[in-house]
Amino acid sequence: MLIELIDVFISGLTNGSVYALMAVGLTLVYGVSKAFNFAYGSFFSMGGYLAWLLLVGLGLMGGYVIIFIIAIPVLLAVGYGVERAIVAPLRKRSDWEVKVMMITLGLALLLDNAYQVGFGARMKSLPTMVEGAMIMGDVVLSYQDMVIFVLSIGGIVCFRWILNNTRIGMAVRAVAQNPAGAQIVGIPKDVIFGATFAISTVMVGVGGILLSQKYFVSPTGGWDILVKSWVITAFGGMGSIRGSLYAAFILGMLEAFVGWIFGMTWVLFAMFGVLLIILAVRPQGLLGKWG
Amino acid sequence: MAVIMAVIYGIVGVMPIFVGDVRFIMHILIMCLIWAVVAACWDLIMGFAGIFSFGQVAFFVMGAYGSAILASRLHITPILAMVLSGGITAAIGVLVGLPCLRLKGAYIALVTFAVHMILEPFLKGDMGRFLGTGGSRGILTIPPIELFEVTFSSAAPVPFFYLTLLLSILCTVIILIVIKSYWGTAFLALKDSEDFAMSLGVSAFKYKLMVFALTSFLTGMIGGFYGHYVGMLSTRMLGIDLFVTLMIMLVIGGIGQYPGAILGAFITVSLNEMLAPLGTYRPLTLGALVVVLVLLLPDGVIGLIRKVSGDEAEGAGVSRY
Repeated sequence: MLIELIDVFISGLTNGSVYALMAVGLTLVYGVSKAFNFAYGSFFSMGGYLAWLLLVGLGLMGGYVIIFIIAIPVLLAVGYGVERAIVAPLRKRSDWEVKVMMITLGLALLLDNAYQVGFGARMKSLPTMVEGAMIMGDVVLSYQDMVIFVLSIGGIVCFRWILNNTRIGMAVRAVAQNPAGAQIVGIPKDVIFGATFAISTVMVGVGGILLSQKYFVSPTGGWDILVKSWVITAFGGMGSIRGSLYAAFILGMLEAFVGWIFGMTWVLFAMFGVLLIILAVRPQGLLGKWG
Repeated sequence: MAVIMAVIYGIVGVMPIFVGDVRFIMHILIMCLIWAVVAACWDLIMGFAGIFSFGQVAFFVMGAYGSAILASRLHITPILAMVLSGGITAAIGVLVGLPCLRLKGAYIALVTFAVHMILEPFLKGDMGRFLGTGGSRGILTIPPIELFEVTFSSAAPVPFFYLTLLLSILCTVIILIVIKSYWGTAFLALKDSEDFAMSLGVSAFKYKLMVFALTSFLTGMIGGFYGHYVGMLSTRMLGIDLFVTLMIMLVIGGIGQYPGAILGAFITVSLNEMLAPLGTYRPLTLGALVVVLVLLLPDGVIGLIRKVSGDEAEGAGVSRY
């Protein structure tokens, strides 16, 4: 009983860390450009399929280090390209927020079906990043979980440092606060919008690579991720990285324990219930502000 | 607006004279009329009231399941079951709307889309099965509509077509009246400047909750109608491709360009049938279509017609009155 409890706890911690990474990506784009990306989950699957293609499809040597070296620039390019090609032209139109949601939803359908045509409807599994486990008595702590945890938290810390300490990070924050004002002082607003979209694509894609080796890659697997990331973002508060972190771990634990006690089908209901309660009590989320 | 609607429905209304004996085409026309109502409802809530509701397909499915269960389990006359189911859907719509009205923009999209996402596990799960949704098998025997001892079913498409036409016109005219009334003007005012409208005494809360109730009622009712027409239901309707198809209707018709959504529904349903030979590539094409159409048709077909005819003054804002 206790051992199981610890296992569930570890699983919640690992998933929570990846969720945090992905939620930060979502809050970044929405916070900076007010664009809501419905294709976020499809970029998650893209990360998974990219890793599968390189590792299993092409049989590339060098393990996950090579995967990350190749996948990150590819995801950056995809994210920047998507933003420039389909989101940016909509900004000047009426009802542009709805149109961005629509176009990204269309993109999600396009990508999901492209995966299905390209890779087949069957789920794909990835080889694990590192084998082995640390055994302490009856508790088994796999190295894979530890690596996932360290990489996601490392990613967030790194991102936070860039946001707070570099000129680019300051530019991003300036655009988030006041796009017009940022443009007046010479910050290229459109480039920043594109860059934040690209960075968020990398975050969710890396999340996809990390989680897909624990679970599977499937063409429609991203929808769950979209809803979860968005619930975490809303829970933690828009634009607050710390809030997203807390929320991700709370919801990661909730998912692990609800899944363990009631079964996985109840996880989505529980998440939705928590979301409704949070939004009813505190619409701006744990640490967020409206705006 | 009324003129465009009359022309659209007039053209569709005389179609059975030419194609009345081709069952396949009659089926497409009936589906066009049904989806026209759903698209019109979505346009009302999103294009006019400015609420980013992404739960319209969920309301449609709820209405369909509700009416099917009421009719097949409790043996209520299908027409009454449809209306009752619309009422239930409206109640759910208000329940969903209540938390939404405290929220802004994309948050509303999240909550309503989450309703869509959890509906499938609900209908397939134990709770749904207890209510009579038939789990993942769905409901296979839904009684057809009976009115004055005449049975309307897909076996005789022409009478059924005219029943659908009547219902479709009724629903879309209700929406037209709402848009043209004080209510519609209040929405425009709220959309343009919520603070200013509220300072003039327009209650955002009341009107937005009412639009949630009205659109979910109409959507649920037409969903029930759809269920009685096709005679079987499954959760496959909750797939993302149907959702995107509905979205294409609105994109083609133009958001907030009222009769446009109806026109969009006719074009999209016909187009969708033409895409059927593509098989597994159809959803892929639909997705690509959305991306291209959103970029190329900023105000839908109606906006395009206005642009071509040089009628710029009639454009977006003004024409809504």
